[in-house]
Amino acid sequence: MLTVASLVTLSACSGSGDSGGSSSDGKPVTVEFWGSAVGLDKSVALWNKSHPDIKVKYSQIPPGSIGGYAKMQNAVKAGNAPCLGQVGYDTLSNFIATGALEDISQYADSSKGNFVPWTWQMTSVGDQVFGIPVDTGPMALYYRTDLFKKYKISPPKTWDDFAAAAEKVHTANPSAYLTTTPQDAYDIGALTWQAGGKWFGTANDRWQVTIDNPQTKKVGQYWQGLLDKKLVTSEPMLDTAWFKEVQDGQLLSLVSAVWAAPLISKNLPELSGKWAVAPMPQWTAGQQAAGNRGGSATVVLKGCEHPKQATEFATWLSTNTDSVTSLIKNTGIYPAATSGQNLPAVDQPSAYFGGQNIYDVFKTAAANTSTGWVWGPTMSQVQSDMKDGLKKAGAGQGTIPNAVTSVQDSTVAAMKSQGLSVGN
Amino acid sequence: MATRTPGDALARPVAGSTAKHTSGRGHTRSAVLLLAPFGLLFTAMMLAPIGYAVYQSFFKTNRSGLGLGPSTTVFAGIDNYVTALHDSRFMSSFLRVFTLGIVQVPVMLGLALLLALLLDSRGAAFKKVFRQIYFLPYALPGVIAAIMWSFLYAPSVSPFTAALRHVGLEVNFLSDDLVLASIGNMMTWAWTGFNMLIIYSALQAIPGELTEAAVMDGCSGWRVAWHVKIPAVRPALILTTVFSIIGTAQLFNEPAVLSQVAPTVSPTYTPILATQQSADINNYNYAATQSVILALLTFVLSFGFLKFTQRKGTFA
Repeated sequence: MLTVASLVTLSACSGSGDSGGSSSDGKPVTVEFWGSAVGLDKSVALWNKSHPDIKVKYSQIPPGSIGGYAKMQNAVKAGNAPCLGQVGYDTLSNFIATGALEDISQYADSSKGNFVPWTWQMTSVGDQVFGIPVDTGPMALYYRTDLFKKYKISPPKTWDDFAAAAEKVHTANPSAYLTTTPQDAYDIGALTWQAGGKWFGTANDRWQVTIDNPQTKKVGQYWQGLLDKKLVTSEPMLDTAWFKEVQDGQLLSLVSAVWAAPLISKNLPELSGKWAVAPMPQWTAGQQAAGNRGGSATVVLKGCEHPKQATEFATWLSTNTDSVTSLIKNTGIYPAATSGQNLPAVDQPSAYFGGQNIYDVFKTAAANTSTGWVWGPTMSQVQSDMKDGLKKAGAGQGTIPNAVTSVQDSTVAAMKSQGLSVGN
Repeated sequence: MATRTPGDALARPVAGSTAKHTSGRGHTRSAVLLLAPFGLLFTAMMLAPIGYAVYQSFFKTNRSGLGLGPSTTVFAGIDNYVTALHDSRFMSSFLRVFTLGIVQVPVMLGLALLLALLLDSRGAAFKKVFRQIYFLPYALPGVIAAIMWSFLYAPSVSPFTAALRHVGLEVNFLSDDLVLASIGNMMTWAWTGFNMLIIYSALQAIPGELTEAAVMDGCSGWRVAWHVKIPAVRPALILTTVFSIIGTAQLFNEPAVLSQVAPTVSPTYTPILATQQSADINNYNYAATQSVILALLTFVLSFGFLKFTQRKGTFA
C-alpha cells in the first residue's frame, strides 16, 4: 500500500545554512501560514516552487485589529493553530504574554545579523526569539499635488503649518478637508513615537505605563483643536468611504506609513500622477523626526509541529531577494532585513507618484525613527479602548485627551487584573 | 425446549401479569432508546459547553512580573462575578438591551399581530403574495441585512439622510440619540414577518364556527378580532414574546455591523458584544463569566414572563 518516495532535498538559496527541510521519515512537511497582508501569497508561491520538501499553505485572514489576532489566539487556545502567523510588532508582547508563541531562538539566532537591530529587539525578549521581522512602517505625508496647487498650499513642514493649511483648505471649500484625525491606538501611537514620547517601558521586572505622557497629550490636544474648529473629519483612513471622499476631492492628504502607497494606487488608479510624498510635519522646525506605524513579524505559533521548517520559511520570506522584491512591489513593505533595504525595488521612481522616488522620503524617515519604543502586553485591549474613545471624540462625545487618559487607566487596570506588575 | 433462540421469547405467548410487567419495561427501554440520540447530542452540544463555561468562570489566569513567562491558572471563587457586576460597561449594556426590548418587542409584535389579522380577514386579497412579502426580510441572512442597513444609515451614503436634507432636515441615524432606535428599526424589519407567520398559523387553526357565531351575534370584523381571535392566539403571542426576549438579550448582528460605521456603537454595546470583546482581548475566564450571567438573566426574563402569563390565566 505505502510507497515511501525518497525525495531529493533542494537546498534553499537563502543563507540559512542547513536546509534539510523534510521530516525525519523523508516525507515532505506541510506548514500552515495565516497572514493578512495583501501579496504574501505571491511570496508563498515562489517558495513552494523552489522548496518541494516544505510545503507552505497560506490562508488570508482579516487584519489583526479587526479580528485576525483574536482568530489566531483562539486557534492557539483550541490547539489547532497554524504553524505561522503574521503579527504586528505592536501585538507581539500580547501574544508572548498569552503564551501563544514558540521560542525559535535555536533556529533563528543565526539570522540576527541580517536585520535592522531595533526590529530584532521587537521580536525578542531576553535570549528568547519569537518571530522573524518582515518590515517596518516609516511614515510620511501623502498628499494630492493637484489639489495642493488648487488651494495654493505647499507640503507643511511643521504641525503648525499643517493646521494653517487645514484652515486654508476648509475656508476655501467647506466640503474639503486636509485630512482625518487619528483613528486608533496605532495612529496615535505612531504620532507619539514621532513626538518622542513612550507608552510602555520595563524596569526591575515591572511594566511602566505612560500612555498619558506629555507627548501623547500634546498630540491629542493638537488634533482635538482641529476637530473643535471642524477643520478635519473623523473617519477610518483607507477604507471604502475614505477612498470615495478622496476621489471626490474632499480629502487631500494623509499621514501614514510606506505600506499605504500600494493601497492608494490600487484603489484610486484614476488619480495616478496626482500624488506625492513629503516628510511628516515636525513639532520643531528643521528636525526630521519620523514615526513608525506598523511593521510585522512572522511568528511561530504555540503547538507548531515543525518549528524548524517554519522558521526556515519565515527567514526566507524576509531575506530572500525574490520574496522581498515581491513584497515591496505587492505589499508595499519597507524591509526589516538590511539586505532588503538595498534592493533596487526600494530605490526607483514611481509613475503613480508622478515619477517621484518615494523611497527617498521613507529611507530618511526610517533613519530618523527613534528605536526605544516598547509595546505593552495588553495591546488588544489598548487598541479596542483607544479606538472606541477616538471614535467617540470624533463624533463630538468627549475629547481625544480624555480618551487618552481613560485608556491609561483602563490599561493599568487590565494589566493589574492579570497579575502583571505595574509601577515604576 | 433445550435450546432457545432469541425469537422464542417473541413467539411464545406469556402469562398476563408478566406481560404487563415486561411491556412496562419495554416501554422504558424503547423510550430510552428513542431518547438516546437526542440525549447524547444535547449533552455533547449544550450541557457540556455550558458546564465548561461555568467551570471556567470560577478560574483566573495569573501572570507575574512582566507576564512574559508562563502563566498559571488559579481558582478565583466568585471574583469574576464580582468584577462583572462592578463592570459599568457590561452593566450598561444590559440596561441598553433592556430599554430596547421594552419598546421594540411590543411594537414589533403589535405590528405582527395586526398584519396577521389583516391577512386573516375575509376581505384580504393576494394573501399569498403579501405573506411572502412580509416574510421576505426574515429569509435574508442577518448579517447581510445588517450590512445593507449600515449603508442605508451611514450619513455619507444614506439615501434617507440625503432625502431629508432636501427638505431641510439634518438627520443622522447613527447619532447617539438615534442609534438605538435605528437598531430597533432593523430588528423590527427583520423579525416582524417571522412573528406574523407564527401568529397567522395560529389564526388559521381557530375553528370556523367560533368566528361565524360571533358574526351571527352581530360582531364587526374588529370586534371578532378583539373578542375571539386575539384570545385564541394568546399562546402564539406568548411564544413569540419569549422568542423575542431571548433574541433581544442576545442582540449581536446589528450592533456588530453598525459599529463599523457608527462611532456611538462601542465594542461593549450589548452583553454578547461585551463577552466577545473579553474573549478578543484574551480574557477567556471573564468572557465565560459574562456568558453565564447573560444566560442566567435571559433564562430568568423568559421564564419570568412565562410564569407571569400563566399566573394571569391558563397557558395552553
